[in-house]
Amino acid sequence: MTIKKKILLIDDDEDFLFATKLILEKGGYEVFLAEDGKTGVEMWKSISPDLAIIDMMMETWGEGFSVLNKIRATDTGKETPLFMLSAVDLQGPYNSFEPPPEFPKVNKVLQKPIKADDLLRYIAQELGVK
Amino acid sequence: MTNKSEKSLILVIDDEEALRDGCRQVLEKSGYAVLTAGQGIDGIKLARENLPEMAFIDLKMPNISGMEIIEILSRDIPDIVLVMITGFATIVSAVEAMQKGAYNYLPKPFNPDQLRALTKRGLEHRHLKIETKRLREEKDLMESNFITFVSHEMRSPLVVIRQYIEALNTIAGERFDQDVREIIERCRKRIQSLEEMVEHWLDISRIENGTLAQQKVCLNLDAIISRSVEEMTPVCRKRGISLETNISEKLPQITGDEESLVRVFTNIIGNATKYTPEGGKITVSCQHDECYINASIADTGLGIAPDKLSLIFEPFFRCGGKNEKYSGSGLGLTFCKKIMESHKGCIAVSSKEGDGTTFVLTFPCQIDPARKVSGENS
Repeated sequence: MTIKKKILLIDDDEDFLFATKLILEKGGYEVFLAEDGKTGVEMWKSISPDLAIIDMMMETWGEGFSVLNKIRATDTGKETPLFMLSAVDLQGPYNSFEPPPEFPKVNKVLQKPIKADDLLRYIAQELGVK
Repeated sequence: MTNKSEKSLILVIDDEEALRDGCRQVLEKSGYAVLTAGQGIDGIKLARENLPEMAFIDLKMPNISGMEIIEILSRDIPDIVLVMITGFATIVSAVEAMQKGAYNYLPKPFNPDQLRALTKRGLEHRHLKIETKRLREEKDLMESNFITFVSHEMRSPLVVIRQYIEALNTIAGERFDQDVREIIERCRKRIQSLEEMVEHWLDISRIENGTLAQQKVCLNLDAIISRSVEEMTPVCRKRGISLETNISEKLPQITGDEESLVRVFTNIIGNATKYTPEGGKITVSCQHDECYINASIADTGLGIAPDKLSLIFEPFFRCGGKNEKYSGSGLGLTFCKKIMESHKGCIAVSSKEGDGTTFVLTFPCQIDPARKVSGENS
């Protein structure tokens, strides 16, 4: 039996967490959930997941970016693939958000809702799983 | 001497040492932190370094007068409450001090109770002022972000429902019979069109209150049309409809927002695909004269009855009535009309039942081609 890859999901909508968890578990991953940015960063440190998916808009708009920054600043967070989630419509204030050059790397930006097949495919690509 | 605790910091500027010490004793005993200065320059320096919440300033002092200090501090220190102390309280000097930004004045001689009462009132006044400012800023921010906020709140539940449907299909899809799968798919589609409706409605609200982010620059309409046609080609191919363009060379430039104009074209082409039968044709053409560019989108579809033609730009109007098979948001053409108006252009429609429908978008040509960028917002 192989060890399951660990995925950390950070989103303040518990239904979104639950729905996405079901998809990821069906895909064969071990899934950890955090309902706010602070918990997310703490869980990142204690669990050391293989990949994290972070919502952009949580308690405050742009909270996800600060979580991203904190995770990228940790030792284990430098190279681990991170996905950002966004349900911001295209006319919103983050429409024109252009990450500055020194902005931490985001491996993929996903629009909510995410198609299950797409999500599992992107993750498999990043983690190099067949 | 710095204010290290949570205590309110009070500054007393007076050339009389006895008065300074008296004030310090009274105020410190009442739980305030106190700084004192014997002359104006020192007082201003202390105020700039420590940002006191309140200051008592003697009117009559050597070198720099109390009136000048009040003027400087009210300008330099945010939200400071200033009280003028004066040995010869005249209405005239009091009024002058208030005009220069003082909150009140305290005539000499005064007793500790008067000092305490005025300090307490002054700090309350400051607190209210700051609170009011904060609330006003919050209100302004809320107003300018209101539509985006509403959009997020309204879309979130819909997004989550669609995510659940994804999850449902992922974990149990194989076990469902065909009819169950069809029910789920229909639910998904209805949710998705509700989401689109919310989006369109919000876009229209944004145009109406002027917060739609449009970047009006000098651009070529043929680039917009190419992009739109490219985007819509797969849909047309799927429905067996041909999509052609016929654009005259050397189109003059227009001033507009690329993103919203692409949405206008894709919207109208998208509509045409819904009402054009397989084997039909959609033609996008473009002509111009000295003042206007006319872009037309013509289809060989079902056409629209004359009595309905004038109503199609109205929100939620559907030509086919309630039984219309092709459900959209009901707001697409309203959006197009608003966008055209925000470009100082217009949209018109002509149709013949059985032959097809033609939409014409009219844009004013850019008057001065030397001008690269026009106004950012309509």
